[in-house]
Amino acid sequence: MTLTPGSSLALGISLIWFSLLVLIPLTAVVVSASDRGWSGYIDTITNPQTMAAVRLTVGQSALVTLVNIVMGTVIAWVLVRDRFFGKRILDVIIDIPFALPTIVAGLVLLGLYGPNSPLDLHWAYTRNAVTLALAFVTLPFIVRTVQPVLEELDHDVEEAAASLGATRLTIFRRVILPSLVPAITAGAALSFARAIAEYGSLVLLSGNKPFSTEVVSVRVLTHIENGSQASAAAVASLMLAVALFVIVLLDIIQRRVSARA
Amino acid sequence: MSIEVSNLTKKYGDFYALDDVNVSLPTGQLTALLGPSGGGKSTLLRIIAGLDTADHGNVSIEGVDATKLPPQKRNVGFVFQHYAVFKHMTVAKNVAFGLEIRKTPKAEVKRRVGELLELVHLSQFADRMPSQLSGGQRQRMALARALAVEPTVLLLDEPFGALDAKVRKELRDWLRRLHDEVHVTTVFVTHDQEEAMEVADEIVVINQGRVEQVGSPDQLYDEPANDFVMGFLGEVTRLGPVRLRPHDVEVAVTPGHAGAFPGTVTRALRVGFEVRLQVELDPEFGSSDPVSVVLSRSHARSLDIELGSKVWLTAAIGAVTVPAMVAV
Repeated sequence: MTLTPGSSLALGISLIWFSLLVLIPLTAVVVSASDRGWSGYIDTITNPQTMAAVRLTVGQSALVTLVNIVMGTVIAWVLVRDRFFGKRILDVIIDIPFALPTIVAGLVLLGLYGPNSPLDLHWAYTRNAVTLALAFVTLPFIVRTVQPVLEELDHDVEEAAASLGATRLTIFRRVILPSLVPAITAGAALSFARAIAEYGSLVLLSGNKPFSTEVVSVRVLTHIENGSQASAAAVASLMLAVALFVIVLLDIIQRRVSARA
Repeated sequence: MSIEVSNLTKKYGDFYALDDVNVSLPTGQLTALLGPSGGGKSTLLRIIAGLDTADHGNVSIEGVDATKLPPQKRNVGFVFQHYAVFKHMTVAKNVAFGLEIRKTPKAEVKRRVGELLELVHLSQFADRMPSQLSGGQRQRMALARALAVEPTVLLLDEPFGALDAKVRKELRDWLRRLHDEVHVTTVFVTHDQEEAMEVADEIVVINQGRVEQVGSPDQLYDEPANDFVMGFLGEVTRLGPVRLRPHDVEVAVTPGHAGAFPGTVTRALRVGFEVRLQVELDPEFGSSDPVSVVLSRSHARSLDIELGSKVWLTAAIGAVTVPAMVAV
């Protein structure tokens, strides 16, 4: 491989920037996680309360990501293909969960589902609250990754499929959906990553009850407040591994689906 | 008659894309819909395929009234200008698409796809992705895909429009040979008169939403129904009261003929074997535009014509002429 001076400079700058921002801090986390040795590390992450928090976080994030895959694609479809009153407004509003400080999101949801719920839905401090808050903050990701791809789709291709005898459902399943898969998986990875990292909106709404509604990020904070940096780092490194695993998994799924179609 | 179009009208707002069009396209032939861009020819083709709907009128295909049928039920093969390939499928999968939808047995699909790829000379590319093919190859793949479902008619919308001149010419000859092999009723849209003249058995000239003339290439060239058809099918020049082809202008260097138009050669251009002249008529003969004349090089040499020569022009005997429209 040969690089021009310009592109080697760009590559160098990119690597340094990436190292400073990402690689070095991540390494620091892994190093400080090993402060208490291997057995201390295992002890921390196999602690029942931690395990419960990990299960809750990963499970809810996966659930919400699945919901987003369906709903995000549907919303993107509606925004691109349908004409209705208020479409422009909806298109702008979609980004609000993303733009809002998450603590404000928590406040909004608490107002609606909290003790004084005008809907008479008392979901605050239950698992439903976790699902709800995660769904709220991750809503835009798949919509925003799928939307531009859907806009760019060639209408000719659908007409070609129709004249070959394909019904609308077949056209969607065999022609449109395969083109959307890369965008959907990219959105799903973002959505999942955001969900396992979520803190602000949950801290108000979920009540942080151990073994019930406590998520990993809250657990990490507890460790730090207790002065145990090493335990916090240990839990953090576990989540790092989970995030990495899911991103790689989604990438493999995407390759499989693209290759099969 | 394979395709029968009657009283077809299609409006976009106030604009008539098609204005009461009636046309019959014969079975087994290769027909060109020829006309300038925006003249309505693509709209007509898309309405035949069911991809657009007409405001009024009927379309019947092989005797079946297709006016209200969706594109899926018309059994029409359609080829698009920009190929419309399924990007995520291999070449073989693209061609197999229509057959798989019809639940054709796997072995049969494989055999048919093999045959079709052979026919369009893409056998060695079966497992490639469309992005690895050139424009011409993609269009041949699109053609094989359309032929796979054994359509009653094959419709091509400016099929060579996105290709460069050389490939276009190759594909044009190839389409003609393919049609001689397969004999499926074929209609293609083009704005290129040379393409239509070279490939088609029959040409339908469409302009401003109306059919101007229907006929064989020779008929259209030799007996144009009107000024528009004459002008669209080849170069035209004006000599006094008539319009005619530049090669039908007879040039003399002496005022022998009665009614000859005297003038002066203002431009002489040699292109290959022919010589193109611009002749400014003497002022009393009015015409503001110079007359274009084409003659062979040897003829020009024998007359000893050069810039500034005094010449007398007449319409050649048997020349195709139409009355010139009054200049505004």
